[in-house]
Amino acid sequence: MILNYFKIALRNLWKDRTFTFLNVIGLSTAFCAAFLLGMFAIFGLSFDQFHENIGSIYEVYTNSQTAKGTEISNANPIPFAEALKEEVPGVKKITRVANGGPLVTFGEKTLKLDVLWADRDFFDIFSFPVVGGSKINPLQNKSSIAITRTTAQKIFGEMNAVGQTVTMRRDNEDVPFVVSAVIEDIPEASSFQFDAILNFTDLPASFYAANKDRWDAHNHPVYLQLDAETSAAKFEKATAAFSNLHFADDIATAKRDGAKPNSDGEYRQIHLLPFEDISFTDFNSNSSKVNKTLPYLILGIAFLILFIASVNFINMGIAKGSQRLREIGMRKTLGASKGQLFLQFWGESIFVFSLSVFFGGLLALLLLDKFQTLFETKASFALIASPGIVLGLLLSLLLITLIAGGYPALLMSKLDTLLALKGKLQHTGKNKVRDVLMAVQFCIAILLISGTLVLWSQLDFMRTKDLGFNKEQVITLPLNTKKDRAQLLQLLRNALEGKPGIISVTAADNILGLGKDGRSSTIVMGFDYKGREVKTNLLNVDYDYPKTLDIELIQGRAFNKQYASDSLSIVINEAMAKEFGEKDPLSVRFLLNDSIQYSVIGVVKDYNFQGLNKTIEPISYFMNPSSPKYYAFIKVAPNNLSQSYDRVKEVWNTLEPDTEFLGSFLDENIDRTLKEERKMTTMISAGSILAIILSCIGLFAISLLVVNQKRKEIGIRKVVGASTSTITVLLSKQFLKLVVFAFLIATPLSWYLTTQWLQNYAYHINLSVWIFLAAGGIAFVIALATISVRTIQAALQNPVDSLKTE
Amino acid sequence: MITITDLEKYYATEEVRTIALNKLSFKVNEGEFVAIMGPSGCGKSTLLNILGLLDDPDGGSFVFNGIEVAGFNERKRADLRKHNIGFVFQSFNLIDELTVFENVELPLIYTGVKPAERKERVDAVLEKMQIMHRRKHFPQQLSGGQQQRVAVARAVINNPKLILADEPTGNLDSSNGNEVMDLLTELNETGTTIIMVTHSEHDAKYSHRIIRMLDGQKVTENVLSEYISK
Repeated sequence: MILNYFKIALRNLWKDRTFTFLNVIGLSTAFCAAFLLGMFAIFGLSFDQFHENIGSIYEVYTNSQTAKGTEISNANPIPFAEALKEEVPGVKKITRVANGGPLVTFGEKTLKLDVLWADRDFFDIFSFPVVGGSKINPLQNKSSIAITRTTAQKIFGEMNAVGQTVTMRRDNEDVPFVVSAVIEDIPEASSFQFDAILNFTDLPASFYAANKDRWDAHNHPVYLQLDAETSAAKFEKATAAFSNLHFADDIATAKRDGAKPNSDGEYRQIHLLPFEDISFTDFNSNSSKVNKTLPYLILGIAFLILFIASVNFINMGIAKGSQRLREIGMRKTLGASKGQLFLQFWGESIFVFSLSVFFGGLLALLLLDKFQTLFETKASFALIASPGIVLGLLLSLLLITLIAGGYPALLMSKLDTLLALKGKLQHTGKNKVRDVLMAVQFCIAILLISGTLVLWSQLDFMRTKDLGFNKEQVITLPLNTKKDRAQLLQLLRNALEGKPGIISVTAADNILGLGKDGRSSTIVMGFDYKGREVKTNLLNVDYDYPKTLDIELIQGRAFNKQYASDSLSIVINEAMAKEFGEKDPLSVRFLLNDSIQYSVIGVVKDYNFQGLNKTIEPISYFMNPSSPKYYAFIKVAPNNLSQSYDRVKEVWNTLEPDTEFLGSFLDENIDRTLKEERKMTTMISAGSILAIILSCIGLFAISLLVVNQKRKEIGIRKVVGASTSTITVLLSKQFLKLVVFAFLIATPLSWYLTTQWLQNYAYHINLSVWIFLAAGGIAFVIALATISVRTIQAALQNPVDSLKTE
Repeated sequence: MITITDLEKYYATEEVRTIALNKLSFKVNEGEFVAIMGPSGCGKSTLLNILGLLDDPDGGSFVFNGIEVAGFNERKRADLRKHNIGFVFQSFNLIDELTVFENVELPLIYTGVKPAERKERVDAVLEKMQIMHRRKHFPQQLSGGQQQRVAVARAVINNPKLILADEPTGNLDSSNGNEVMDLLTELNETGTTIIMVTHSEHDAKYSHRIIRMLDGQKVTENVLSEYISK
């Protein structure tokens, strides 16, 4: 019997080649997309899950009440971690972590490594297996370094790395470190990514030694593992006394400024963020949102695409059933039971599904490389393959097959024997299911298309918005060097200034956007002004900073070499001027570190020095010649941008032949910060294109069938005088009605969802009705084009031919 | 073998109720060959569907082989049907995707006969119907007469006690038609009861008895002269 089913399945599929082909193509594409997107999402969701203690690891962060509300920070003072472990019960292990990118030298080789500095407990808390050397704890001793397998190979080649000495540039001298261990390469799905790890106490003096006993300098995150008996909530509660003791000064300041205590009556509350949520968490000063939108959005798209393809399958299955009525009737006459018929038709579906899963999988494997490049992801099938995932995948495939294949099979097995034998299909109800399903398909397609249009517009808006500085003409360059940075900057200046195409050169300790070195940082400083605390972003700049970046000076002056006192002057932006609250900002004088008086000498116009998701915060420029400047900014002439870039590169290569040139224009840097948005836009675009194509495959197939079923009606209508165009309209109308209906459902939903998403951006586009009309219009036109192929052909047919078929 | 008494069947649409069978009664004995005749719309096909257990009457009694089957549900009817009744249709109703062999084999599959026995029995029947040489062909590759022979082969494969034929020669030319009628006669001579609906007086002459119907009722019943003695 099985063989008989299989045989007839194959012959039927072959007989209806067009349908089988459309079905397999549609389903394979959908499965391919679902596999890739699902893999991407699961990879995102699996981040950090490899740590054995994942359930009990937390990052510490603090909610502080200020006069302006609650501020959130995950930066802690140096003595914090040790004190927390000693004074608050429940901490099993704790580690401070800092990261950086120092230059490491071995013999002739100099490499820039991504380095973590951490405490000994690091390797007990996190699961980074040691494969060579000190198995007990690679961070046991000061001046030791543990490196990953790949880094070891890069530095030492075939040589045994353990026991070798490398030097690292620190505080302007070369410090020797002994390789204590080699650790396994860091898994792709890890939030910590590093080449080497050092003892926390080996951090530069300005970071560690200078702040060793200070409770008011916050500069690193802290991670801890709770013991089995302690819950996070219980621990958080137990930290109240600790906060009140160690942060008494801060609390007093807050109270003085008029801060209100939180609901627990505290001014400062330590919280624990589960480490498994770290990769989804965005810490900024007023929230620590765990945001899993992207992976779930992508899972959602994968699901929607599968849904659309399954609906096609259901609709085509039902439609095809109408061509097999006689077979069904005859089988029933000969004694086939409902169960047997169900199994037969369902079997055919399983066959088509298996074929599609196979092709979809194959296609996904072939496209994996392209997918990884396009979406800048390291996700791969191997990385997420686990028995649970595989089982889940098989179960979902079975479920889809059961529903999408089972529903038409059920309908067919329930057909009335006599009617089926006569070739008559009961029309009641069934078309409603089909119409609803098709409307839902188009609803999804329109939703995704309008989402795509909104994302595009917002992305374009962010890329092209005038940020208040010149991003087209300015090259930024990280000053990675083993030399003295100030000296290098001077050399750079001497070599570039006056050269054709170079307009001006400056430097600062922070970058705008995201450079090729992939680093960005925020330094926020608070101080007392007239009895209250004011906070500002801090930027140490060199001369000509506003001039080089075309940041408009609206009051006072910029730093000038002629004024020796400028090292005690600051230039602020409008937001900071507002923060001071003086009528004349240039009159502001304030004390830092209780003794040194600074004065404001100039005000620049507000500009977006941070991402467009944030409103413009206060920023102050300091001009301290001794503070390190990590980035050079070079303004070049607007013509021949690439030639100027090459000139800068050439100069760099003569000055620093051993270090890679990482210069880039500021607009590239801004683009780089939009990575997530771009990824999301690409995904949704791809999803919406697929959705509309798949919906149209279904629509095309159904239009084929409806036209076939209506051949006689068309013939009669023509005989009594209907024109080709009336018939085309008649046939198209019923489908286009569905698209219009879908548009009416999809638009408010899409409006709501995109509005929600745009709320993430302080600067965003205003939704226009045109975006939604365009989405609906695109769907409508594509649908019309799809069905016209068949309807016009049918309408043109000679009525004699169509009437003959009866 | 078959006794129907006051059999009724209605077809109702939203507005009109059509009476297809109006208190129809007759008997068919085992081994008989009965022809049912009458103009289009007289209820012949409805009657045949009920006799074939494809449809359920709305009133009256239908005793098949001593069992009252009026009111049987679909599953019980199907069970009785597949073991006792074979069908021959005007339009043959062969399944296009199956070969001659597979079409004939189908009833055996649904009655759960083992593959080896199926092959033996199908081959025997095909041999008898003289279409053995066409066993691997598909229906559309055969002539009408050949297709109907396959349909007859399919109808008899389960050795049914009753064969119902609905205008078996309607789609055939006269020589092919005669062949099929001869085939049915042969089957009847080996003991199979046959009830045949037909428009053709010629074909009706092959039967023992003709029941003529009009508007759902029996109008005349005449036993053909050569069988009166029997």
